[in-house]
Amino acid sequence: MKKLAEHGIRPLDSAEKKNGKKWNLMEKLFLGLSLEQYVSQVIRNKFNWVLGAILAIGIPFIIYRFIFGLGSVTHSSYDYPWGLFLGFGLFCMVPLSASGFMLGTTVEIFGRHDFEPIERLALLNGLLGYLFAVVYLLVDLGQPWRLAYPMVYSFGPAAVLFLVGWHVATYLSVQVAEVSTAFFEWIGWPAGKAFIRKGTIGLTVAGIILSTLHQGALGALFVYAPGKVHPLWYSAPFQWIHFFVSSIPGGLCMVIAVSTIVIKTMSWRCDERFKENLGDLTLKLAKGASMGLITYLVIKLIAVAHDNEWVYLASGWGLWWLIEMIGGVVAPLVIFAYGIRHKLVGLVRIGAFMTIAGVVLNRLNTALITFNWKLYQEIPHISEIIISITIFAIYIATYRFILNRLPILYAWKAQPAEAPVKAEVPVAAGRESEQEMPAGA
Amino acid sequence: MFVASSWPAKGVLLLLFLLLPLSGYATDAPEGIVIDVLSNHYEPVVFDHELHVGVAEDCSTCHHHTTGTGTADSYCARCHSNEAEQELVSCQDCHLADPFSAAAINVKSGQDLFHVDVSGLKGAYHQNCIGCHKEMDGPTGCQDCHARTEEGDRFFYSGQFAPPPAEDSGH
Amino acid sequence: MLSPAKKALAAGNLAGFPDGMGVLVDLTRCVGCRSCEAACNREQGLPAPDQPFDDYSVFEQSFHGGTQKRRPTEKAYTVVNRYESEASDKPIYRKIQCNHCNEPACLTSCFVGAYTKTPEGAVTYNSKVCVGCRNCMVACPFHVPAYSYSDPIDPVIKKCIFCYDSRVKHGMPPACVEICPSQALIFGKRDELLKIARQRMTKDPAKYVDHIYGEHEVGGTSWLYLSGVPFEEVGFDTSLQQEPIISNVKDFLGTVPMVLAIWPALFTGFHLLATKGKGDHHDHGQAEEEGEDS
Repeated sequence: MKKLAEHGIRPLDSAEKKNGKKWNLMEKLFLGLSLEQYVSQVIRNKFNWVLGAILAIGIPFIIYRFIFGLGSVTHSSYDYPWGLFLGFGLFCMVPLSASGFMLGTTVEIFGRHDFEPIERLALLNGLLGYLFAVVYLLVDLGQPWRLAYPMVYSFGPAAVLFLVGWHVATYLSVQVAEVSTAFFEWIGWPAGKAFIRKGTIGLTVAGIILSTLHQGALGALFVYAPGKVHPLWYSAPFQWIHFFVSSIPGGLCMVIAVSTIVIKTMSWRCDERFKENLGDLTLKLAKGASMGLITYLVIKLIAVAHDNEWVYLASGWGLWWLIEMIGGVVAPLVIFAYGIRHKLVGLVRIGAFMTIAGVVLNRLNTALITFNWKLYQEIPHISEIIISITIFAIYIATYRFILNRLPILYAWKAQPAEAPVKAEVPVAAGRESEQEMPAGA
Repeated sequence: MFVASSWPAKGVLLLLFLLLPLSGYATDAPEGIVIDVLSNHYEPVVFDHELHVGVAEDCSTCHHHTTGTGTADSYCARCHSNEAEQELVSCQDCHLADPFSAAAINVKSGQDLFHVDVSGLKGAYHQNCIGCHKEMDGPTGCQDCHARTEEGDRFFYSGQFAPPPAEDSGH
Repeated sequence: MLSPAKKALAAGNLAGFPDGMGVLVDLTRCVGCRSCEAACNREQGLPAPDQPFDDYSVFEQSFHGGTQKRRPTEKAYTVVNRYESEASDKPIYRKIQCNHCNEPACLTSCFVGAYTKTPEGAVTYNSKVCVGCRNCMVACPFHVPAYSYSDPIDPVIKKCIFCYDSRVKHGMPPACVEICPSQALIFGKRDELLKIARQRMTKDPAKYVDHIYGEHEVGGTSWLYLSGVPFEEVGFDTSLQQEPIISNVKDFLGTVPMVLAIWPALFTGFHLLATKGKGDHHDHGQAEEEGEDS
């Protein structure tokens, strides 16, 4: 795409062509390029080949899982009923997708319109994270076709999972509505956008409620297993607060991480407003994340003190806990403090990636690594790992597909901006075009 | 499944017990008793009473305080130290063949009994037999006393009904 | 940690149904004959075992690097394991199956309400509504429920149901109790079984450790155990809490209506405060270095 840009080709970012005609849907899907241009730049991009390879290997595994059952791709463990699909797919994806409600609240509720350039990216990150958490769930459920049972057929309202199910489902709809404004712009249906905009405050407040509860509920799920989760990762009264609070830096840092990858690999798609503001916004997001992290650190220590678990810190598990807390919470805090003070965007971005790693490690520790600490450790089946990576690759592919098209990173215009055309456009222009976003996170 | 009264052979058993003289000691005790409450899975066992009379210290080893010989168990002796021979001495007179039926449970829970923990017949036999057999080197394996029937083999997936040896040898 | 709440969700002291049935397992009586495993297999129509039920080499089996003994599976709702203890010169056998909690964690964690605690004490399970989330397996403090992972079409939870449909409902003892030759298992009303257990301990205090496992563990269970050696030496988790598992979750469940009620007004209020007078002009925040971003 970089190469194409040199030839004066700009990606589609407006409703009308230069001649005043509207783009049709196919043209929009191909980013305003001709079919040959589009296909050739897809093939040129090496990251597409990586994704293609992962999917070529992984999709047969997914098909295999649905034909021969969960037993064919997992250890069929009775002691570890939840493996990577939920341990990573659900428990890690959801906190990293708290970005939607965080930025929605900041912009719409607190009126911080300075965050607007990045709001849509945060909303999309939230939507896709939840969507793919549900995809992971569908792969993991024994009978995924009964997913709607707790909604419509058979109710267990006193169960925490009932709450998670309802809230994730409702919140997904809320997020679809929030992101749909970008879609309506792109598809060209202003009435739809106007309708959604009217309900923005309601949607955002609903998002806060649902997020508070189900982020917390994911933690409360483990409160059912007091003897199984290691005491350092378990706290009956505080578990839900831990999960909720850690999702705040998790979600904010995910926005920093994704925007970093975006600006490095697909800056052609970002408009000037996004590019100019990103450094400043990154620092502000990091400031918010720091507040979350320091709160999280304090309540984690309170939980250890509350249950008087200091003695565990001297064990091997205690060392592991310290590694998680220092590497995933304390170190990013220090990095953020230094980076924000000296306005070092690059350093702050490193801190954001560390925070994400910390949140992921915390969830994996709770769900898998310290789970059954009294029994034995189980390494997930290789097929389970392959399927998890495959679904993550589909997540990235979907993410890129939408970022490339919908006005997330750029503002939608009625007419195309003036673009100087310098040269005739060869069909195969731009051999090293880098349109795509690699899987950095 | 193993309710004794549901088996025709119960008739034989009942007859044997009816024929037992109710008074006297040793001389009027039965020579042998056919025990067939497990006849679904095991052949009946002929209990050689005469042999055991010779082996046991006295009747109270098995019959508690009911045979007029006192009891060696200090716990039981608190109430039953000097009792005459009872009318009911055979095992199943006190130990129900069907101790967990709804009727038995309701009777038990409706009363303020001291003996809330009376074993069923099968439990009484085995608890009494196995402990002593271990001390005296008597037979202790299931099939040392009970020859298994074909239905028993099927039930245990054993003998001709054994599952084909698995590829992973757990032996 | 526990507030004296009286909510239906948090009936922490529920002692089960008053006339609930139970089973008392006396480990000092168990001879390890595995008849209960065979009876369970027949009664529940389970698939053929890998080894005959009179093959005692299964007691040598160990799993996961020698750390684990046999456990209930989708093909066997109960298993007997053998343990050695310094407190006993004989091996000790222990039967494992669902303990049928008074307030079952599986039941309270199930989001389709598939589980039922019947008045007779059985914890039964409706596989027709099971979605297969396996949260009950996570929640069960005894690691009991198994899952038919091998079935791609209709995988469901598999566990002991106290022979509820075929026996206990009709006033008959479960198959394992009925077949037990030494009556190491006895069936009766839970209250009566507790009396019997205490009487056995009183009568022969040297024979038993002074604890009835299941009387208070996780709120009490319908199945109760007596042992002659410390329970932790024969595979029991003796660190379990006395309150039902649900009592851990009620703090969180209690906050749900609070959040639902308070958040809308709170955040709408914030919105009004934060945006009052600002209008719609999009200031780009340079002057707000110290602003709270979250």
